[in-house]
Amino acid sequence: MNRILSMHVIDWLNRGLLSMFGLFALALLVGCSGGGVSERSDVFVFARGSDAQKLDPADVDDGESVNTLTQICEGLVRFKSGTLEIEECLAESYSVSEDGKTYSFTLRPNVRFHDSTPLNAETALFSFRRQMDPEHPGHLKEASFSYWKYLYQDIEEVNAVGEMELEFKLSKPNASLLHSLAVFPASLLSPASLETHGSEFQRHPVGTGPYKFLDWRPNQVIMLERNDDYWGDAPEFKRIAMTVVPDSTVRLLKLKKGEIQAMDGLQPAELAALANDPKIQVYQEAGLNVGYLAFNMDNERMANRELREAVALAIDRETLAKVALKGAGRSANYPMPKGFLGYPDREDGIPLNVEKARAIVAAHPEWFTEPLEIQVMNAPRQYFPDPVTIATFIKGQLEAVGIPTKVVSSDFKAHLNNLRNGDFQAGLIGWMGDNGDADNFLSVLFASWAAEKGTATNYSFYRNDEMDRLLLAGRLETDIEKRDAIYGDALKLWRKDLPILPLVHGDNIVVMRSGYVGFELQKIGELRLASIKKSKQKE
Amino acid sequence: MASGALFLAMKAIPEDPIELKFEKFPDPEQIAIERERMGLNRSWLYQYGLFHRKFLTGNWERSLQTGRLATDDVKLFFPATLELSLIAMVFGILFGSSAALFARVSPNRWSKSIAMSFGTIGLTVPIFWIGLLALVVGSLWLGIFPLGGRFDLAAIPPPDRTGFLLIDSLLAMDGGALGMTVRYLTLPALCLAVFPAANVSSVLYARLNEPEVNALYTALRARGFGPIRIVFRHLTRVAGAPVITVIGTSIGALLGGAFLTETVFSWPGIGRYVVTAIIDRDLFVAQYLLLMLIMLVFGVAFLSDIIARWLDVVSESKEGGKG
Repeated sequence: MNRILSMHVIDWLNRGLLSMFGLFALALLVGCSGGGVSERSDVFVFARGSDAQKLDPADVDDGESVNTLTQICEGLVRFKSGTLEIEECLAESYSVSEDGKTYSFTLRPNVRFHDSTPLNAETALFSFRRQMDPEHPGHLKEASFSYWKYLYQDIEEVNAVGEMELEFKLSKPNASLLHSLAVFPASLLSPASLETHGSEFQRHPVGTGPYKFLDWRPNQVIMLERNDDYWGDAPEFKRIAMTVVPDSTVRLLKLKKGEIQAMDGLQPAELAALANDPKIQVYQEAGLNVGYLAFNMDNERMANRELREAVALAIDRETLAKVALKGAGRSANYPMPKGFLGYPDREDGIPLNVEKARAIVAAHPEWFTEPLEIQVMNAPRQYFPDPVTIATFIKGQLEAVGIPTKVVSSDFKAHLNNLRNGDFQAGLIGWMGDNGDADNFLSVLFASWAAEKGTATNYSFYRNDEMDRLLLAGRLETDIEKRDAIYGDALKLWRKDLPILPLVHGDNIVVMRSGYVGFELQKIGELRLASIKKSKQKE
Repeated sequence: MASGALFLAMKAIPEDPIELKFEKFPDPEQIAIERERMGLNRSWLYQYGLFHRKFLTGNWERSLQTGRLATDDVKLFFPATLELSLIAMVFGILFGSSAALFARVSPNRWSKSIAMSFGTIGLTVPIFWIGLLALVVGSLWLGIFPLGGRFDLAAIPPPDRTGFLLIDSLLAMDGGALGMTVRYLTLPALCLAVFPAANVSSVLYARLNEPEVNALYTALRARGFGPIRIVFRHLTRVAGAPVITVIGTSIGALLGGAFLTETVFSWPGIGRYVVTAIIDRDLFVAQYLLLMLIMLVFGVAFLSDIIARWLDVVSESKEGGKG
């Protein structure tokens, strides 16, 4: 009985496997004969390396989420395309009071959210109140609202003062507030959608933008559909698909084959080859970021200013940008990119001076008995497309002047943790700007209040009363020329103390197939896809 | 025991997952609130107990990164991986046993070594490399298959009943969807099948060359049966048991290979999800998921071992008696 059963089992397995295979092959034949990829000339597909985390503008900080939300929702003001100038968006006009403590906005009439809730002062309040007020029903307990405390901390209250009038009261003047209101955490969502979508609220954004949220297949695609009632210029493409292609080689293959229309996250090594490809257009521009070497000033050895100076003089940043970034960035002379308030007209950052570096090393042999340890992450960021190569390059340059060096690499989160807790000597890291204001770089990098172990963003643990004073003064000052002078002084102080060595500014790069026009890179790295059109000439 | 080791491993990670959740602006106040909510301020024993209770009752935490319930994510991503792995397993067994049987009956050394060399390739060439090669050949040159993904982006998938697209499209009686599913599934399944195929063929080949199987083969040949018939009707019966053991132990390797395959083929599966969770220090998701996968791998290996032992005893007594 048992024997016969066992034979049947094996025979059944045999047949089962063969018939499954047969069925599969049959289905494959059907699938292949059913024509190629479905006709989708009305869909624009943009691919990136990972998926969005959430789609709630008040509670995200990853680029994938922000890039998706940019198509769906808008703020009161925005950056004029391709610049850091502010222009009206959902506000028709705005004004700032004499004392710099009251901001008034008049909303654009006849604008509706995607769920047809009308935009007025009452409905606009929701997106700000839910971030400020812990008792607000939209202040979800699983959300962190971490941007609110940093970019908007001076907002004391927001009120509706008329049908279409919104007023912000500040506890003290803040010169960067308009810039902050143009950034994604200040985007407006429909208050009605909190009830409609309940626990799915953070995954179903309802804004006023050129595209409506349609569907999300996690780790595959987020599908957006044209908002035919959009108040601004109507987009051309009926749908936009934000898809995930984790492997960058495969992503580029897909672009070349035409399965996708555009992508980010290009490997810099591919840039040169793409320059001569007539089917591909590359958009490239300096990004709003800085990649730098942080010196831990709490470390006994690194506290020596001359040692830091020697390291700075020994590193050839021009060559570093060329060799290690392969054209995907440019060398940095200051802790923030060109064009910011305080950035000097005549650049006299840090010269390359190998002899002087050697002299310092020779004068202080006691500092170099042990190798200098440089920590680095092993995953790419916009400012360091290939961090380990950069670290290795620096090691070579330092050893050439007689500084023994050791490179230690770890994954990004572990690296971040070491830096925040001060468990390092020198570390490669960077900062990506949020709102295009100098304070958003200098306070993050140099303020003593950002140097708390565990939560630091001032990874060099640089503490200087004069620097703190300048940074606070810069926030309060509303006169642009005076602000410019204040940040200029802050930069001089940085050069004197050298808590960090700026290395590179990584580029914003978007690669697109030829045959599309109307796209422009944005300074703060926003991705605005709604303006893309098919070019009139044939591809 | 596995859960204890896993828990300690998670505790041994020096980084604080809550602090790291805030990549740009870590705020001490917010971090304290989150830690409280997650029960991370309580004793380890309490946390360990809580971990088990939540795991067993299916009341899993939300992902720190996406805010989705980990159970929902498993329902979403696991069927994709399972579907891929099962098809890969079918391919693997078929190709592996065909190669072994072919090598066994092939008359000359050339064809024999060609058949067996596939096994060597399968065990040595890295799977992401095979994957890229398959994409270039299958998609760019032949133009038959898409460059990764699970379903056409712009098309509407069949209604989600089981999470398995093959079954869902059959249930919906949607031939187009079925064809599309298969087209997306073929290349990754072929790549993932390489490793189990190599395993199956080497084990099966060794088994087929054992003296008693040889004797059986000679005896059957002497009775006038053709080699094909012997191989398919008799030898598969004798050799079935070790193959089942190999299948059981290959499941672990399949899930391990799933991460690389899922990355190259943009497959929305659990492998990529787990690895991302670990890289992002998404503590709870990593803990629950790893424990689930450990239990699964052990369970399958255990089950296949029992089945194999039972088959082996039975078939040996039968075929042995006959010979």
